Amino acid sequence: MAQTTKVREGEIWAVGGGKGGTGKTFITSSVGTYLAKKGKNVVLVDMDIGGANLHSFFGISRPQKSLTSFFEKGASLSDLVVKTDFDNIALITGDIHSIASDKITFSQKLKLFRQIMKLNAQNVVIDLSAGSHNNTLDTFLIADRMIVVLVPEVIAIENVYHFIKNSLFRKVKKTLKEYGFKEIAQHIWDHRQNYGINNLKELIDYLKDSFSYIGTILDHELASFKIHLVLNMVRNNNDILLGASIKSVMMKYLGVPIQYSGYIEYNDAVWKSVREGRPFMLNYMATGCAKQIEIFVENMIKGKDVSLPVGF
Amino acid sequence: MVKDELKKYFEMLELPPDASLRDIHNSYLRLKKLYAGDSIVLAPLGEEFPEKKRKKVLDEIEEAHLKLLAAKKDEPSRTAFLFEDALSPEKASSQPEKAVDLPTTGPSLRKIREKAGVDLSEISKEFKVRIELLKSLEEERFEALPEAIYLKVHLKNYAVFLGLNPAKIIDEYLQRYQAWKKKK
Ligand SMILES: Nc1ncnc2c1ncn2[C@@H]1O[C@H](COP(=O)(O)OP(=O)(O)O)[C@@H](O)[C@H]1O
Ligand SMILES: [Mg+2]
Repeated sequence: MAQTTKVREGEIWAVGGGKGGTGKTFITSSVGTYLAKKGKNVVLVDMDIGGANLHSFFGISRPQKSLTSFFEKGASLSDLVVKTDFDNIALITGDIHSIASDKITFSQKLKLFRQIMKLNAQNVVIDLSAGSHNNTLDTFLIADRMIVVLVPEVIAIENVYHFIKNSLFRKVKKTLKEYGFKEIAQHIWDHRQNYGINNLKELIDYLKDSFSYIGTILDHELASFKIHLVLNMVRNNNDILLGASIKSVMMKYLGVPIQYSGYIEYNDAVWKSVREGRPFMLNYMATGCAKQIEIFVENMIKGKDVSLPVGF
Repeated sequence: MVKDELKKYFEMLELPPDASLRDIHNSYLRLKKLYAGDSIVLAPLGEEFPEKKRKKVLDEIEEAHLKLLAAKKDEPSRTAFLFEDALSPEKASSQPEKAVDLPTTGPSLRKIREKAGVDLSEISKEFKVRIELLKSLEEERFEALPEAIYLKVHLKNYAVFLGLNPAKIIDEYLQRYQAWKKKK
């Protein structure tokens, strides 16, 4: 969030993407494990309120503590960190018997974000729930690295467009509100036909062109808005190339930077590993999948796109 | 060309500024296919990404490709030596721009390719095009060649692979092709 000054050393990464079952939790657990293997002190946070299952990727079936205590008993987040059997990785497990996401109050949300930022870890990785609920988007937006997961299917692609667009819209609205421009933007949007505006990007462009001070502020606030795309469950080169197309379309449509940081192939070892209760990156490190996760993380750190297969 | 302007063109093709000729070409083909066709990636946006915008993107891609090729032409390519020894032996080394006057017939293209030590199978593999078609192109067997719009793409690929300026080759080759077609 804009007004949050960074005092922490660690980085917050968040994994979202709209559709359920695309591999967000698998990727959160694997990215976390890889960072831990590299020697980082990692805390994973399961924010999939209602569908929490991150713990099962680490062989924990009934977590001792969970976010429930934070929301219902006011426990502090740092007291809810649970160790795993694996070096350098701890978890904050989700809320299994779930309070509904929209029951979370605004002040609880702010408190949660403040405490996430204060967690004692070099890397916090947040697993988000499916959908584009405002709470999910707000959590996504506190991250230093915003990761979006999808699979090569039409519905997942649609969901990802929706998710990225809504995140951007949320960020723009928050910024405008913070600086007192919300009403102007809303008015223009409500009368968008008169202004020849069809979509969010055109609204932003219009605001920037018409009010140079808004432009300066938006440019500044949106400079950190960068999406890392990861395409999961790919089966062939065409699938891999789809990621590049999605990146292209999203950049031209929304005008924000998107990095196609990685792809991960489909492999039955993924669910086997869950059944065996050991982190995939430790259990199946020789698989193509594990290599691709390493490449994905390294690309994110280096700010590089994944290399595409040639000749198509 | 000014550095900043070049950077813009690399960005249009979604490439880093140190991209190679091959990267440029691959990106160009990939993006052209994406925005010219009806990809499942564009479909969900419907009217939020209107036809007009798609056309504009296609124009930008074309422009970026040509501008970057022109810029790369000044860099040493794998066929650069040809311009000096085989084709204009007398004064080539002092007049590199002589390269622009290369003959553009099929057989002369073949000569250049062979001098450069490039096998047709390499071009075939790079652009997923049948060797037979490339042979017909070199032999100017027009009846075996596809329609002009596709022929253009093949000629461009061929030229780019050899580091030659595609515009002139396409122009002159198509003139002969169209003349043949009229007579037919
Ligand atoms: N690359 C993959 N190959 C095979 N199965 C996968 C892969 N990624 C995820 N899965 C499986 O797909 C299912 C959904 O994954 P999960 O991470 O729970 O998705 P999400 O958190 O997005 O709902 C799980 O059963 C998981 O084991
Ligand atoms: Mg999940």
